[in-house]
Amino acid sequence: MMNRLIAHVDMDAFYASVEQHDHPELKGRPVIVGGPQQRGVVCAASYEARRFGVRSAMPMYEARRRCPDGIYLPVRMTRYREASAAVFRCFAEFTPLIEGLSLDEAFLDLSAAPPSAHALELGRAIKTRVRAHTGLTASVGLGPNKLIAKIASEKSKPDGLLHIPAERTRETLDPLPVTALWGIGPHSGAHLEKAGIRTLRELRLAPEPLLAALFGSQARFFQALAEGRDERPVGGDTRERSVSQETTFARDLSDWRALAGELRPLTEGLCASLRRHSLRPHTLVLKLRTADFRRHTRQRRFAPPDNAFAVLWPLAETLLHDWLREKPGRPLRLIGIGARDFVHADQLALFEENRASERRLEAAVDAVRQRFGDGKLARGMPSRME
Amino acid sequence: MKFETLRDTLLFPVQAVVGVVEKRQTMPILANLLLTVTDTGLSLTGTDMEVELVADTAVEIQEKGEITVPARKLLDICRALPEGAKIVVYLDKDKLSLRSGRSRFSLVTLPAADFPAVEDIHVQRSFSVGQKQLRDLFTRTAFSMAQQDVRYYLNGLLLETSEKCLRAVATDGHRLALCDLGTDLGDVTAQQVIVPRKGVLELQRLLGEGDTQAKIELGTNHVRIHLPGLRFTSKLIDGRFPEYERVVPKGGDKIFTADRLMLKEALGRAAILSNEKYRGVRLQLSTNRLKVLAHNPEQEEAEDEIEVQYQGSELEIGFNVTYLLEALSALEGEQVHVTLTDANSSCLIRAPQNKFCRYVVMPMRL
Repeated sequence: MMNRLIAHVDMDAFYASVEQHDHPELKGRPVIVGGPQQRGVVCAASYEARRFGVRSAMPMYEARRRCPDGIYLPVRMTRYREASAAVFRCFAEFTPLIEGLSLDEAFLDLSAAPPSAHALELGRAIKTRVRAHTGLTASVGLGPNKLIAKIASEKSKPDGLLHIPAERTRETLDPLPVTALWGIGPHSGAHLEKAGIRTLRELRLAPEPLLAALFGSQARFFQALAEGRDERPVGGDTRERSVSQETTFARDLSDWRALAGELRPLTEGLCASLRRHSLRPHTLVLKLRTADFRRHTRQRRFAPPDNAFAVLWPLAETLLHDWLREKPGRPLRLIGIGARDFVHADQLALFEENRASERRLEAAVDAVRQRFGDGKLARGMPSRME
Repeated sequence: MKFETLRDTLLFPVQAVVGVVEKRQTMPILANLLLTVTDTGLSLTGTDMEVELVADTAVEIQEKGEITVPARKLLDICRALPEGAKIVVYLDKDKLSLRSGRSRFSLVTLPAADFPAVEDIHVQRSFSVGQKQLRDLFTRTAFSMAQQDVRYYLNGLLLETSEKCLRAVATDGHRLALCDLGTDLGDVTAQQVIVPRKGVLELQRLLGEGDTQAKIELGTNHVRIHLPGLRFTSKLIDGRFPEYERVVPKGGDKIFTADRLMLKEALGRAAILSNEKYRGVRLQLSTNRLKVLAHNPEQEEAEDEIEVQYQGSELEIGFNVTYLLEALSALEGEQVHVTLTDANSSCLIRAPQNKFCRYVVMPMRL
C-alpha cells in the first residue's frame, strides 16, 4: 500500500461549543448539554465544565452535584446537525474521501495532497477553515493510517494538532493501554490484563496462540493494530457497506429474555439508522461474542430489501433463537446486529405494500429521534413466553 | 426384515428419494430413509417434513418389516458397489446389514415408528395430466418464484385449477410468469394451492419426458403426485397468493414485435457490462428500432441495436436484464410481442403462437 496521510478530525465538546458559539455570553463558562432535569445523561460538557469532573454520558444529577453552578442546556439536535453539515462542507474542500463517524468526527484521506504540502500545514489549514466557517474548534490528528490518526487527535485535544509520522508510530503506541484500540473495551481489557497484557507493546509481543485463544479469528487483526498497521481505507462508502449496532454486556448473558431484550433496541436503532441514510438491506447479520472471546455470526438473506422494524425484528429474533437452540446456555459478552447488501437501484414492485400504518409509525419515531436524539423513544418489549 | 435385490434395482429408488433429505436436520431421523418391505415389494421414503418422496421397487422378499437407516450412507454404499451386484439386506438386532459378494456393511437404525411419514392427505380433488405437459408448465414458470421472501406465500408456485385448465403462476414481486395448460380436468372446480419452492424444484427433477400420466391429488394441506414407481407429497403453503390478474397489464399502446433470439442475444451482449448486482439495462425504443444500453460502476459501456416492428412514440425504459432474458428463454417460437405503457409501468411479454404463457416484468428506475 502506498504511503497514506490520514486525518482524524474531532470537534471539541461539539454540542457545548455550538451553544457557546450561539450564546457568546456563555464563553468561558461551564456549559453542560443534556437530557431533561434529573433523569437524563450529559451529552456534552464544555472544557470549563470538565474541570469540575463532568463527563459525557454521566447522569445529569451527578453533573449537577459536581458542578452546581454550571449552565445546563437542553439538546438542540436540529441545530447540531446543521452545524455538523457546515463542518463537513469544510472537509470537502480538502478531499472527497471523507468517512463521517458521527456528527462531530470524521476521517479524511489526504494522501492525494501534493507531496510538498506538509502534514502539519494541512492539518492547520483544516482547523483554520473550520474555525473561520463555523466558529468552532477542532482537534486534528494526522498519521499514516486511521488508527494512528485517531490516537493523534485524542492525544492533542482540545484545540490540538498532532502528526505522528510512520517512523514514530511504535514509540507512540507501545506505552498505551490496550483499551486505546477500537474493539477493546474495558471488558476485553480486563481479560487481557488477566493474561498479563496491559500495554500495546505487550500485545504486540504476545505469542499468537495466546491471542488466538482470547480473540479467535480477530487475533491477527488486533496484533497488526498494536504494531501500528492498519490498512482500513477511508471511504464515504465504507459506512454503507454495512451498518451495525452492538453492545457489550456488563455481565455475560445466556438466556433468551435478557438477550432479546438487548437485541431489540439495537435492531430498532439499526432500522432508524438505515432509514436515516435511505438504505434498504438484503442481508441481516447477527453478531455474537462468547465469553471466550470467539466471534460468531449468523446471517440471513431476505427479500424484498427493507428497513422497517416490523420486517427486520422477526428476522433478528429468529437468528438469535436459532443460535440459542444450536448452542444453548453459552454465555455471551456481546451482541450486535448489522445489515448489508444494500439496494440502490430502484426496481419497481408489482404489488403495492400494505403496510402504510407501520410506515407512518416509523416515520413518526424517526421524527422524534431526529429532534430529540436517539434513545429517547423505543418500542416496548412484549413479554414472550419461551 | 430381509430382502434380496440387485444393486441397480436399489440404487435408482434411493437416488430418487434422497434429494429431499436435507444436509442439516432439525431431527436426527430426518437424515434417514424409511425402508418398508411388504407383500408388494420395497418402498423407500425420504422427507424433510415439507416434501416427502416414496419410491417403490420390486425385490425378492424373504421377511416383511420396516426400519430407517442413514440416507447418504445407503446411497454411497449402493453407488460404490459394482454394477449388477447382488445385495442381501436384513435386520440384525438393531443394525441393518447389507451384504454383497465379499462386502459387508452394518448400518445404525432408528425405529420406523418414529419416522414422520405423511399418511392420509384427505384428497379433495384429483385429476391426471401428461408428465411432460406438467414438466413444461413448471419449467415455464418456476424460475419466477421468490426465494427467502418475507412474503412466504411467494416462495412457491401457485397452481390453479378450473374446468378446462391447469394454471401455474410464479412471482417474486418484481416479475411474474403465468402459464396455462389446456386440458380437460373433468369436474374439477376452481381451486388455488401454493406448492412450496423446494417441492417444485424436486418435481422438476422427477418429472420425465414421457407420455405417461401424472395423477395429481389435492388434499386439504397437501398436494400429492403419483408418477410411475414414485409418489411425491408436499405440504401446501398456507397463505393467500396476491391477486395476480390485476398486475397483468391489460392496456399498453406501445407494442413491438421482435425476433425472439435476436432480442435475447442483444440483451445478453449488453448484459455483460451491466452492473453485476442490479443487472440494469436501458431500452430505447423508436420507429422499427430498439437500442439496448448498459453500463457498470467501472464506467464501461455496452450498446446494441436490433430491428423490431414498432410504429409508436419513442420510449426509454430500464429493466433488470435477467428478468427479460429468463422470460425470453421460457418462451418458444420465432417472435415475441412486447407491450409497454411508460417507463414506470410493467411490460408484458408473449409469443404470438403461444397464447398460454404470459410474462410480466416491472421496470427499474435507472
